[in-house]
Amino acid sequence: MMQIVIQGLLLSGLYALIAMGFTLIFSVGRVLNLAYGAYLLIGGYVYFTVSQTFGVPKPIGLLIAATVGCAVGLLKYRFLVKPLKGDHVAVEISTLILAVVLQAGVVFLYGDSSKILLPIVPGVIQVAGASVTYNLLAATIASWAILIGLYIIVRKTHIGRAMQAVSMDNKGAAISGVDPDKINMFTWGLSGTLGAIAGVFFASYTQLHPAMWVAPLIIAVAVVIVGGIGSIIGTLIVAHIIGFMEIISVALIAPELRGVFTMILIIAVLLIRPQGLFGREELQ
Amino acid sequence: MTGIRWYHLALWIAFVAIMFVMPQLVSKGTLRIIIMANFLAIFAISWDVLSGRTGYISFGHPFLIGIGAYTSAILTKRFDVPLEVAMPIAVLMTMIGGIIVFLPALRIKGSYFALVTLAFMELIYQLVQVIRPDLTGGTRGMSGIKTITRGAVSNYYLSASLLIAIAFSMWLLMKTQLGIALSAIGMNEESVRGSGLSTTKLKLFAFLTSAFVAGIGGAFYVHYLGSIAPRALFDINFLFTIIVAALIGGASTIIGPIIGAFFLTFLLEFLRPYLPGAERYFIYGMVALLLYMYQPKGLIALMHTGWNKLTGAR
Repeated sequence: MMQIVIQGLLLSGLYALIAMGFTLIFSVGRVLNLAYGAYLLIGGYVYFTVSQTFGVPKPIGLLIAATVGCAVGLLKYRFLVKPLKGDHVAVEISTLILAVVLQAGVVFLYGDSSKILLPIVPGVIQVAGASVTYNLLAATIASWAILIGLYIIVRKTHIGRAMQAVSMDNKGAAISGVDPDKINMFTWGLSGTLGAIAGVFFASYTQLHPAMWVAPLIIAVAVVIVGGIGSIIGTLIVAHIIGFMEIISVALIAPELRGVFTMILIIAVLLIRPQGLFGREELQ
Repeated sequence: MTGIRWYHLALWIAFVAIMFVMPQLVSKGTLRIIIMANFLAIFAISWDVLSGRTGYISFGHPFLIGIGAYTSAILTKRFDVPLEVAMPIAVLMTMIGGIIVFLPALRIKGSYFALVTLAFMELIYQLVQVIRPDLTGGTRGMSGIKTITRGAVSNYYLSASLLIAIAFSMWLLMKTQLGIALSAIGMNEESVRGSGLSTTKLKLFAFLTSAFVAGIGGAFYVHYLGSIAPRALFDINFLFTIIVAALIGGASTIIGPIIGAFFLTFLLEFLRPYLPGAERYFIYGMVALLLYMYQPKGLIALMHTGWNKLTGAR
């Protein structure tokens, strides 16, 4: 029982981190970034190259991965999303194509086989009979720290309030002296950074593989849809619902069914309450 | 029927004639590539009927194709049902699948609809491996499925006639008022409803037609390949190829998805000597992305502008 609670909490923390960058773009930029999973892919592989192949210290490796993720986010906004001028279908399709291209790029550079990422923080601790790796614990702590930081940024700072404004109404924000373009740039960069960091932790939790972007994308989609677009608190709560559902189905029902309940939840919520359990359309 | 001109029919006859003499012109290897292109074109037409016309972007098309393929494969392999019975049942099952995809379209549109169809695909991918693996073959799938004919030439004629039949009937359908109403939904659903038409019925019709084509395509495809595996079918790369074929060629046309399918299949084959593995998708995707960014209306629009420049027409 304790095992389930602890494992559930840890996995949910990771899922919340994964979903956060996705929900930011969905609410501020109002577009569905299907290449979001690719940030995780890039983050994981950059960290792998820098710290495992070149032996750079791990915190610096994480920093470099985050920087690359940020750069990819900015480039994606500048060269893909902006030229398409908010055409939703076109953005969805072109980000899907981009994700496939990036996956193929990773295959080209690193090969098709999966790679094991060494734990970022090695070691195991016993908590109430459950063995917890320091690695996953670190991921959860990092995730909580990032989520709290993000909540403060969105709620308390000038740029956060500007993001809320843009997510509510582009033109209204522009009239109030907020440059929506700059805010969008900032959000895409931030989303890329978060995705890359999540990717490092996710890869060390599972493994590095060229197709590793699909599962986190589905998780992010599930969390965002069920939680409601743009709600940080909703994201946090639903990440826990989904994380616990997975752990419970693995421990008590059947491990193969771990993803099935998540999919059923997405479909059910979309049919019954399309705006999500906690959502408005804006960032809140 | 509106807007049918003599040159339309001339083009159709030319298309059929080219497809007919093809085996005399090219090698058996090329013929096998064309067979794949034919199937991809059928899937792309099916996607286009649903998404290209009505604007409801489906990311779950492999879900429909998979139902058709799996139903027919299971019936023939596990229950020894003859092909001519199994395939109509498979098409019927796919149309039931089409109703399932249709249900969310009653309430949601845009990105949400795309996401729920993506969830459908992931759901069936995971269920196929878990529920009754004795029937579906689980993760490894099935092989040794009955094939309809043997040999490249007869398989080519089968797939080519299938493509021509589907393309021509869809083309005729889209020339009727019904087809025009479907395209109108893609432009502005509210005004279609305002014109006193039932958008629900129209959408249901589009989804069922799309599922019908996907079911036929899926059933013939699995009996051509002789094997089926969940990862090859319910796969983002497969989905990507279908959507891109329709868009690169030109959405909401009939000839567009066919051109797109042939272009993509031959591009992929052209790259094979240089890049043998999955890294081919890098170049392939880049070409698709650049083409799509440059002209979202596809190759058909590019050809149109090219033709107009050539003849000096406006």
